[in-house]
Amino acid sequence: MKINRMLKFFISLISFLFINITLGNVSLKNDTIEKFGIRVGADIHKIIRSASNNDYTGFSFDADIRLKESIYISSEIGNEEKQINNYYINSTAKGNYLKFGAKFKLNKKDIGTQNITYSGLNIGFSGFNQTINSYTIYNTNSSTWGESIINEPINLNDLNALWFEILFGLKTEIINNLFLGFEIQLKNIISQKNTQEITNFYIPGFNRTYDSSGIGAGFSYTISYLIPVIKK
Amino acid sequence: MNKFFILFLSLISIYGCESDDICPESALTTPQLIVTFYDMDNPEERKSVQSLGVYIIKNNGLILLNEINGINTDSITIPLRDDESVSNFKFCKDFSEDITVIPNGLPNHLYFDYEIDETFVSRACGFINNYNLSLALPYDPENTPSITNWISDVVILNNYVTNENQSHVKILH
Repeated sequence: MKINRMLKFFISLISFLFINITLGNVSLKNDTIEKFGIRVGADIHKIIRSASNNDYTGFSFDADIRLKESIYISSEIGNEEKQINNYYINSTAKGNYLKFGAKFKLNKKDIGTQNITYSGLNIGFSGFNQTINSYTIYNTNSSTWGESIINEPINLNDLNALWFEILFGLKTEIINNLFLGFEIQLKNIISQKNTQEITNFYIPGFNRTYDSSGIGAGFSYTISYLIPVIKK
Repeated sequence: MNKFFILFLSLISIYGCESDDICPESALTTPQLIVTFYDMDNPEERKSVQSLGVYIIKNNGLILLNEINGINTDSITIPLRDDESVSNFKFCKDFSEDITVIPNGLPNHLYFDYEIDETFVSRACGFINNYNLSLALPYDPENTPSITNWISDVVILNNYVTNENQSHVKILH
């Protein structure tokens, strides 16, 4: 699958950069970076939502590494399944996604703390399927004949979407190397594939879509651990 | 930085409130069949029907269409059945609201056979039906011999029922 190939690419890229940075930084003398390493985390909000909502299951993992003093590169992989219901349509979207981007530390003056506020930019890609489970024909004159409800599912497979997101967030070190984070994202679709002229109601990783525009929004609560590689 | 954060939040909340989950009344809906009445002796001339009442026939029962209950008209719009690709009607001339007999007046069977074409409209409204008429008869094909009453013929003018801009079916009487 496409996403697997992208995952491989991404892992090798991360490790390549990671090795470069660690090697590169050993020789620095006046480095204010206290800890250096890879920070890995998971989205708590998705876990809670999966447990509390019948129409949603999902999880995601994210990782970031510090490229320079105030620049991080980051990535997130996840899987989501979401039911979208309204009076006329009951549908399910299911699939994987991958995000890749950069974060810029905004609190540059706070030296000696691991807490960061940041803004950043992500590129997201999702490969997913959408199923129209059941639907009612929209007919304002159906009062005499009665409504026509169709329970034969329509399967829309191999859909995909590409988008970018502007993000804003913060991460606070609650105990040594353990971080809690909150992030909001404003997104815009770059391209998407849909079939049979049926809208993609939900895109994993992107969130719900809107008919009127390609704009979307999302947020996450993360818990993450900084695996220290260099400690000065 | 705070200003940026507030701007960001407000942008997100604006888009979060967008209400395209409700199907608006202005949305494109499933079209109805437009039937026009013509003179059987002069097929190009419109001819009104006196006191027309139209019943739908569903599960062997007759239900009167609300809007067509004894009106004098030369054109009507009637809904087609969505859950089957066949609709049956009783068109009644000289319909009178005072009489409680069903069907009331002088009935004539109308039979329409069509293909249903589901068309996606939007997230909130879902799908509508369009129809492709294949057969229109002024009698019930399941009843032999086929009896017509006051209607002499039905002619399909437009097979595709996708809008209500023009007449789809012409009835001669």
